[in-house]
Amino acid sequence: MESYQYLIDYLKNSPPIIQAVWILSCFFFIIIVILIIYLKYLRGHLRNNEKVVAKYQKEYESYLISYLYAGNEEEEISGEQQTIIEKLKISAADIFKRRIIVSTLLRLRNEISGEMAESIQKLYYQSGLIGYALSRLKSKKWYVVAKGIRELTHFHVKEVHDEIVILVNHPKKEIRKEVQLYLVTLFHFEGLKFLDVLQTHLSEWDQIQLLEVLQHFENQELPNINPWLKSTNDSVVTFALKLAKIYNQFEAKDAIMELLTHQQKIIRVDAIHVLSNLQVVEAKDILKNNFDKLSLEEQIAFFKLLENMYETSDEPFLLAHVTYENFEIKLSALKILKIFNIEKFKSLKEISSEPEFIRIFKFIAHNQL
Amino acid sequence: MSEAKKIVLAEDNSTLSLLLKFRLEKEGYKLLVAADGKEAIELIEEQDPELILTDIMMPFISGLEVISHVRNKLKKQTPIIVFSAAGQEEMVLKAFNLGANDFMGKPFSPNELVIRVKRLLR
Repeated sequence: MESYQYLIDYLKNSPPIIQAVWILSCFFFIIIVILIIYLKYLRGHLRNNEKVVAKYQKEYESYLISYLYAGNEEEEISGEQQTIIEKLKISAADIFKRRIIVSTLLRLRNEISGEMAESIQKLYYQSGLIGYALSRLKSKKWYVVAKGIRELTHFHVKEVHDEIVILVNHPKKEIRKEVQLYLVTLFHFEGLKFLDVLQTHLSEWDQIQLLEVLQHFENQELPNINPWLKSTNDSVVTFALKLAKIYNQFEAKDAIMELLTHQQKIIRVDAIHVLSNLQVVEAKDILKNNFDKLSLEEQIAFFKLLENMYETSDEPFLLAHVTYENFEIKLSALKILKIFNIEKFKSLKEISSEPEFIRIFKFIAHNQL
Repeated sequence: MSEAKKIVLAEDNSTLSLLLKFRLEKEGYKLLVAADGKEAIELIEEQDPELILTDIMMPFISGLEVISHVRNKLKKQTPIIVFSAAGQEEMVLKAFNLGANDFMGKPFSPNELVIRVKRLLR
């Protein structure tokens, strides 16, 4: 009692700031204790959850394996398979169990091919899981719709193409991404037709993901990309240029050359890069004649093109630009000259006394580029 | 009656390992399943199997380390089949350099796996 009294007297007689510090310390101490108790509870809850999930996962794994090996040649669905389907239908009514069933089916479906994979697909339909995925498409919550589309993509459900394709210009980018991946994963290059009607922006990340999916298909035949190169949606044009570069679409060169006068500089620069990749000689002359009207980025891109497609007739043009103000252009011009006319290159040693020029010249002279 | 040939399967996907166990035991083999590389090595050392099936990416010890352990430390010539996911071509080449005998890219057909197992255990 005396010690408490001492503490109380101490607090009462302390300056206000010390009192405030003590009060705050006690307050934070209580908060920390509450949080520790809550974390312990949460950890226990999560661990229990994990055990429950593991238990159901094991149960559904054994159902799945039994289903796959219970078939016979006489019936389409054997008695044992029908029993398993009914059990799964009952379990699937509960959202928690449904998630585990779907993840179990997917874990196996992603690893195997052939008739086993087709059987898993059949089970997805027969157990009614497809109905739940389809109902998600009508949800008012965007994340539910997105998850529904993703599940239908994973299970290769092509029949719902018409219901999904109408979401291609959905205001939520997460849904648009899932729609795009659905169309391309299931319908391969034909699925890219959504680009005809896409009005929203196709981000760089979306483009990378689509290209990643496309590269895995055996049939690498691209449909006609000209309409996409002429699209009013700039991101579609950018994506079409990527396709032209990766799939060597030489037949689209005329449409790509038209992009040299596009209003967006970044598209003009991309077009130059693609034309360089496709070795389109006509582009070189057009750009050379308009060189002074190009922006700096286009001029640099043009010199990169020239590094791929130089001819001896380009020598006067190159000589005119060896002392250009921009570093990359100077470097490119000297590099190209060294390759096809080493004597002329050597004679340029004294052409300028600028330190930058001298450094570039020495670097190119002493290195194999 | 000859004893069933032992196969160690190292695969962290429990659904796939259950399927393969079922399938291969139907063919008369005895399957010993490991959920990770560490468990796989323990099983190989204890049971001396006739064949090893191993995934490449696994917890603790990878499939490549399992192959290296079998060939370089245990000095065994047990046939080894490696499973690889798409995009792991470099890993598959490393697996062959370490001494793997065959590989199957995922997704694979279990029926084809059985044919390859039978061929290696002939």
